[in-house]
This record gives sequence, structure tokens and C-alpha cells, in this order.
Amino acid sequence: MIAMFRAVLYTQWKWSRLIVVLGTVAAFAIPLLSLQGAARADRGALQAQELLRAVQSWGSLYPLLATALGLLMAITAWAPDHRGRHIHALTLPLPRWEYVLLRFGAGFVLLAAPIVAVLIGSSLAVLTATLPPGLQSYPIALAVRFALAVFVAYAVFFAVSAGTARTAGIILGVIAAVILVQVVAGIANIDLNLFGAAQTVLLLGPGPLAVFAGRWMLVDV
Amino acid sequence: MVRLQHRADSLLSTWREAQRLANLADSLERVRATAGSETIAVGALRIIANPSPLPLRDAAERAWPAIDSLYGSVAAELTEHPYVFRAVDPDTAVRRTVLHVGIELPWDLDVRATTRILLTTVTPPEFDHALADWLGATLRPTLRPTDEPTAVYLQLVTVPSEAVRGCFLGDIARCKDVLQLGDSNGLVGRWYVTPAEREALVSGVFGDYFARAGTAPSLQKCRQHRDDACTALLQSLPPGSLPRLLAPAARLSLVREALRAGGRDAYSRLVAHPEASMDTRLASAATMDIDALVARWRNGVLAARPVPLTLPWWAGVAALGWTAFFGFCALRSSRWRL
Repeated sequence: MIAMFRAVLYTQWKWSRLIVVLGTVAAFAIPLLSLQGAARADRGALQAQELLRAVQSWGSLYPLLATALGLLMAITAWAPDHRGRHIHALTLPLPRWEYVLLRFGAGFVLLAAPIVAVLIGSSLAVLTATLPPGLQSYPIALAVRFALAVFVAYAVFFAVSAGTARTAGIILGVIAAVILVQVVAGIANIDLNLFGAAQTVLLLGPGPLAVFAGRWMLVDV
Repeated sequence: MVRLQHRADSLLSTWREAQRLANLADSLERVRATAGSETIAVGALRIIANPSPLPLRDAAERAWPAIDSLYGSVAAELTEHPYVFRAVDPDTAVRRTVLHVGIELPWDLDVRATTRILLTTVTPPEFDHALADWLGATLRPTLRPTDEPTAVYLQLVTVPSEAVRGCFLGDIARCKDVLQLGDSNGLVGRWYVTPAEREALVSGVFGDYFARAGTAPSLQKCRQHRDDACTALLQSLPPGSLPRLLAPAARLSLVREALRAGGRDAYSRLVAHPEASMDTRLASAATMDIDALVARWRNGVLAARPVPLTLPWWAGVAALGWTAFFGFCALRSSRWRL
């Protein structure tokens, strides 16, 4: 089983190494860039507001990077199988659920690199920065959040990608139907807020995308 | 000179006549606005309103404890400042007579919203000009007591000022400076401590003001990092025109702290001597030394530090749960159920 996992991991690495490497570099660079203003000691004391603004602006890149990594890794994990019409997978001497699990696990292992890069980049950034009094750094919390966001994004796109074109069509159809109903309700002046409801369900509380919502701050009060 | 004196007397007489007419108009308008209304009395609150489903009594019962705890014994004087409300149908487009007294409210407001209106429109009793000027706001019960000190905390951390930073780090004298308590001489140097701050203030806030012919050369020098020119320009400003370092929430929270410390008669002591300096009035209200009061205020503000933006533990569990759920969806994908 371990040998099989290694083989799957190796093939997945071959297919997605460019994504992993670029993602890791970006994940390492974003925290460093977000604190570039604080790295100079001469402008440390009075720049708290500017610094927070910069950190907040750069912070919007973390969920985008997590989404992009999850999407690209999920697509790459299945693209060769889709191209080969799954013949290779069907010839393997293991249940299909195990094959999917191996692919799923391999993706997580590869995604560990950008997550560790965020942790190292954040730690390095706060160590080299001169933070004004009253501001605190949260490198571990940020890395944990990034990890969770990457995992959720990867799992969502992995599930979609593992499905058939019909499944993808159904998902897109549901989204289109929601948009259509909302537009029609707006034209008919009906008090219906599907977008608001969808936002509440998806982004708030324990919703699947809640980990992406809110501010991503490496430094905060 | 005699002619000027005559003109001044004539102006005074006209002004008095105008005042009399305005008072008469106000009085008549009040009678017109309150005709057919009923009066609701809760504590010292008096609410004059037309009959409607608006939950004014319930709202007053909720608002009164907050008002009473802020103004203490002076709250009894609120009987002289009744609210005048006119409840109106929110769905009608029928034109109403215009009233210049009181507030119009849609009658479908709930108790919470009505309470909020009572709290935010209450007339502070014996609220003098000196206190109002110093505060820069009206002292009313706060709707969210924890928000104000949290907002002040954020200001202490983020306002680009060395004086504010000093206050945050525990320098009580700096806190008194930024709150404008005590001696108001040399405020420029005490508020804008560093040359960079003074230059930024002159070039930024007062850049256009000082770009006039008379002060333009000094402005030029100031922009060339000549601190003496910057300081001279700032000192030439009329009193009270320097921008305050902290928003009104800082002073409001200090007054609330003084009232909390001073007990039920604190507000009455605060407004007892409008001619006294603000530090004296606050110390009298709180029945403690002004330094001790400011230190207590600062401790309260530091204790109100906002919660960091870290994910709660359950959000992490939820994210892992969703990851497992979508992974399971992938395992059960239709592609594999051939």
C-alpha cells in the first residue's frame, strides 16, 4: 500500500510540480512582502495604520492563493485519468475508493509545501520587522488558516473534478438557476435574497467557505 | 460714537424682539405638535406622542435605567425636556402637515429600535457649552458599552502620533495632553511632538491655508524640513483650530469612567461648575485625583483590546469536516459507479 502511495505521489508530483513550486514561492513571498514597510526600523514607530493597511491588502492574496492551489492541484490530479478515459485506473488491482483516497492523500502531501512556506515566510517576516507597540503578529494562526483553506479548496475541486461532466453540469446548473431566480425576483420586485442566503450558508458560521471569509492578518492589534 | 451706540441699541432691541417672536412661534408650534397627544411617564422620562402601536412605554422602561445610571440624580430634571414624537404610518404616501417640533417615527418600529431612538435623542440635563466643546460630542448613554473603549484602544495603537503612543505606553502626562486636560499652553509641541509630525500637519492639513502670500515662504521653509518655520506657522493658528489627536470616543469614555467612579451624584458634580477647568470638573465628578482617573481610564481602554482575528477552534473542526465530506463525495463519485 505504501509503495502504491509512493507511486501515486510520484506521478502526481511529476504532473503538478510546477504548480507546487510556484505556489510555494508565492506562499513564502506574500508574508515577506506584506511586512516590507515594517522591515525598516526608521519608520517603525508611527506607521501602525499604514502597516495594518498594507498587511490587510496583501492578506487578500492568501485565500486567492489557497483557492488557486486547491483548484489547480485537483484538476492536475485527475487530468491524465480523464484523458486516458480512466482505463489505467480501472486496470489497477485495488478498489476504486482506495485509488481515489491515494490521489486525495497525495494531493494533501504535495500541498504541505506551500503551507510550510507560509509558516516559514510569516515567521521570518515578523522576526525581521519592527512592529509598532500594540501590534501583535500571528504567523502560526495565519499558517493554520491557510492550511485549512487549501484543504477545503482542494477537497471541493477534487470532488467536482472526480465527478462526471454531468455532475459538473448539475452544479453549474444549480448556480445558474439561483442567479436566474434572483434576477427574476428582482425584476418582479419580490423580496427574495438568495445571494444573501447563499452567503450566510456558505461563508458564515460553520459554512464550507467560512475559513476564507474575514480579514487575513499576519499582524493585527 | 453716539450714532454707533444708537445703532447698537437699535440692533439689540431688534434682536430681543426677534427672540420674543421665535419663542412665541416655538410655543405655538409645540402646542400644535402635541395637540391630541398622550404623555407617557417612566421614571423622569416624559414622552408626548399621538396614540399609535409604537411600543413607547416598553422602550422607555428599557431606556430609563441606562439614562438614570448615566446622569444619576440630575436625571430627575429630564421631566423638563420631554420627547415629542409623532408616530406615522410607514406605508402611506399621504402628505402630512409639517411639524417643526419633535421627531416623526414610523409606528411599526419594534421595542429595540424605539429604545435606541430614546437613548440617542435624550437631552443631557445641564449640559454646558464648555463641556460640549471639550467633548466634541453629546454625552448620552452608549448603546454598546464595550465598543467605545475598544475604538479608543485602536486609536491609541494606530494614530500616527508620538504623544498618543506615549499615552498607550503608560505616560499619564501624555494621556492628559492628548485628552486636553490641564494647561493648554504649548499645545503644538505637546500634541505634535516630533518635527516630522509638525511638518506633516502643516503640509497636509494646513497646506492650502498656509499657501497664501503672507505665509507661503514659511510654508516653503517648513516643507524643506525647517522645524522652526513649521512650529511658527502652527503657533500662528487661531486657538482651537489644531486637529484633535483622538476622536470624541476617547473623551466620552473618560467622562463615563469619571461618572462610574463618582457614583450617583457624579454627573451633578460634573456640571456644577461650568467655569472650572475640565480636569478639575472631571476630578470632582470622579472624587479622585485627575492622574488617578486618567490612569484608570487608560487601564480600562487597554483591557478593551479587540479580540484577535484568529479562527475559533470550531471553525477549524468545521473546515476539516467539510474537507472530509467533499473527499467522501469524491469517493462516491458517479464516475466510479459504472
